[in-house]
Amino acid sequence: MSGFFATLKRIGSERDGWLGLAFTLAILVFALIGPLVGPDPNAIDIKARFAAPELAHLLGTDNLGRDLAARTSVGTRYALTLAVMIVVISSIIGSLIGIVAGIAGGWVDRAVTAVFDIVNAFPPLILAFALIALYGKGSATFVLLVTVVFIPQFGRMARARAQTLRNLSFIEAERMLAVHPVTIVVRHYLPNVAGPIIVLASMNLPVVIAFEASLSFLGFGVQPPNSSLGTLIKDGFVSINQSWWPTVAAALVLAIATLGATLLGEALRRVIDPKSTGAR
Amino acid sequence: MTDAIAISNAQLRFGETAALDGVSLTIPQGTCFGIVGESGSGKTTLMRAVLGLQKLDQGEIRILGKPLVHGRAALRERASFIQPIFQDPAASLSPRSRIRTLMNEVGTVLREPHAATHERLAVILGRLSLPPGVIDKYPHEISGGQARRVAIARALLMKPSILIADEPTAGLDVSVQGDLLNLLQDIRRSQNITLVVISHNLAIMRLIAENAVVMRAGNVIEGGEVGSLFGSPQEVYTRDLLAAWPSIRAVNTKG
Amino acid sequence: MAISLRDLSVDYSLQQGTAHALRGVSLDIKKGEMLGLVGESGSGKSTVAFALMGLLANNARVTLGTATIDGKNFDLTKRNATAALRGRGMAMIFQDPMLSLNPVFTIGTQLGEVLRRRAPGSDRKTRVAMAEDALAKVKLSNPARRMNQYPHELSGGMRQRVVIAMALLSEPALLIADEPTTALDVTVEAQIMREIIGLRDRVGCAVLLITHSLGLVTEYCDAISVLYAGEKLESGTVKAVQRQPGHPYTRMLFDCEVPIDRERHADASQNSFTVISGDLPDPRRRPPGCIFNGRCDVSFAECAVVNPGDYPVGDDAGHSARCLRLATP
Repeated sequence: MSGFFATLKRIGSERDGWLGLAFTLAILVFALIGPLVGPDPNAIDIKARFAAPELAHLLGTDNLGRDLAARTSVGTRYALTLAVMIVVISSIIGSLIGIVAGIAGGWVDRAVTAVFDIVNAFPPLILAFALIALYGKGSATFVLLVTVVFIPQFGRMARARAQTLRNLSFIEAERMLAVHPVTIVVRHYLPNVAGPIIVLASMNLPVVIAFEASLSFLGFGVQPPNSSLGTLIKDGFVSINQSWWPTVAAALVLAIATLGATLLGEALRRVIDPKSTGAR
Repeated sequence: MTDAIAISNAQLRFGETAALDGVSLTIPQGTCFGIVGESGSGKTTLMRAVLGLQKLDQGEIRILGKPLVHGRAALRERASFIQPIFQDPAASLSPRSRIRTLMNEVGTVLREPHAATHERLAVILGRLSLPPGVIDKYPHEISGGQARRVAIARALLMKPSILIADEPTAGLDVSVQGDLLNLLQDIRRSQNITLVVISHNLAIMRLIAENAVVMRAGNVIEGGEVGSLFGSPQEVYTRDLLAAWPSIRAVNTKG
Repeated sequence: MAISLRDLSVDYSLQQGTAHALRGVSLDIKKGEMLGLVGESGSGKSTVAFALMGLLANNARVTLGTATIDGKNFDLTKRNATAALRGRGMAMIFQDPMLSLNPVFTIGTQLGEVLRRRAPGSDRKTRVAMAEDALAKVKLSNPARRMNQYPHELSGGMRQRVVIAMALLSEPALLIADEPTTALDVTVEAQIMREIIGLRDRVGCAVLLITHSLGLVTEYCDAISVLYAGEKLESGTVKAVQRQPGHPYTRMLFDCEVPIDRERHADASQNSFTVISGDLPDPRRRPPGCIFNGRCDVSFAECAVVNPGDYPVGDDAGHSARCLRLATP
């Protein structure tokens, strides 16, 4: 665990990393603790509709007088949960597929690469519409969809790393000792692929959050009564003539969340994988 | 006695170039055998083929009389009598595994209880003058010299009867290369191991090997007992190699 | 005109403290001669070259040192002290020729660039002719064709020849060759060393050959300096040093070298190799006394206390070694 804290410390020692850490931490606190201490996000109070920020409603209220701070807090938690789930699943599946393709080479490798290419050939949003048309709206469809979209990225990186590792002495030494192939993959490939995969995962988090928000904004993502950042922005957008607060509140949280995660991911990359920055 | 390694008419092409152009040679058991050549001579490719890391286009390789076949079962069997010592042995230790884990893997392959593995390991570590505590470290936590010994210890744990060392002294300072060479010679003598050394270093080869071959462009140019091979080489290329070797002359060292 | 380097000291600031890579190293190279600077890894031999060329890493600092090159004095503690000499007056051959060659330009373009700086005002035709001539001089086959080729189309040995041709055209007063043949096969190594000697004789420059190979030095150099853990332990002509090594380290290094004509003993136990046991001292904390004390086989009590100076060895002028045994007759 000391490695984890050492990494955190090194991230915090850089200005960008410090900002990223602070933003991410703030968003985490907001998403995890907000729903516990804040007002009921679904309590309707018609008298207080479209209120500007005040002590009772820190981010104002929406068209039904519901507390926006509470609603965005719940929405953020939902968005983060989805994003983390998607990134974790797609990175694990992608890494395993990529490693196997990289080790096997030949037709296995060509087939996997071709599938990756096909998935990547579609613009994500178009692919999303197609899958939604096939399977209907809903969170499960959404998770499946985004996971599929993100697998090739992780797969490609894992494949490239595995190809390099395959020819290194220590992997050949394992092979010459007739160590079981599964042991070789799990014990010797995975840990050496993990670094760049973790970095890529952390840099993909904000992308997934934003992707989820755009789908929800278009009405294809999270379905009522659940609310995510995207649906909140959309709902606010409908009534933007009466009050611009609902839109801005949710958009602000989205911006901070993605910016924080991006900065953190960048800093993590610099710490874990210093070679890729070109600095000495 | 069957030969440790017998290669007949090994051929392999990489695109246009012939990496191995019909190589035949036999390596008798219990001897030290040298393979000399410059880059592109095919010496490393040949040894990769012997280890089963590289398939041949044509030709046959027999190890202790048994033909080399690919596949896991054959690999398991082969692993227990032929082991490589890589050019940078320290790099042949998986960087994110403790040395204990790496040693246990060998036991698992041999289907041996861990206690028995560690009993044998303790003897080997002692022989290679490695402290017993070394097994609880990660490869990056020990010195380069120790890592080299750990890699050799791991190969020895497999109880091989043939060791193949590819450029064992590459990148080593003269003051420490002797240490490794003495160790290899000592292992060979005490365990009656067949040692195959691949090197471009003729001076070392002359002292360590009993028999050697000179390779060039995928062919064996000439071979034989080292004394006559280096003392009165028949081929122009061998003579060129010897002449080009920058070496202090033995007669000059004492004034 | 001789090249001289005085009291070069270089520090590296590392996370774990300041490492002294070089401590007061002085070298002299006569014009038209080749000095072999021998050292094992960690001796700081490449740092000497980098300090002279002004190519030290960002965390390195020259704390002391002056150089006299081509009659001019340079204070090496200043950043870019020798910048004016780069490409003219001083040339360098690295282990990896690609450090000196630009992969996106043809050989001809790169040689032309050297000439444009060296001989401003010359017309293109003359420059092409001179460049082709230089390639022919380093025995690169088919010079006219090579002019239009890119570095990646050539083999390692051919690239190193191109770098030597570049050095030839810049007519340096000092040529620094840092392990120029380490990546090459022995037969190519011999050819490249001959071309470096040829360049030296044509231009009449001084050559600093940095190498770990005593074989190369005894075969090709006029003089030798032995570096150990950042300090120069011995220097003199190759003949004198080989005949009578003044420092135990030098003697042990020579003993470790395996001569090509040493015969194999029938009794295998006789074929053992010589080793210098022990480790390099910590570059951050220099132990008192002689730097080699911990590994020396003839040290005595005073060696751990007294820091030896450079004492003359034998009656050969310029042969000196840093060993207390020479001070106490």
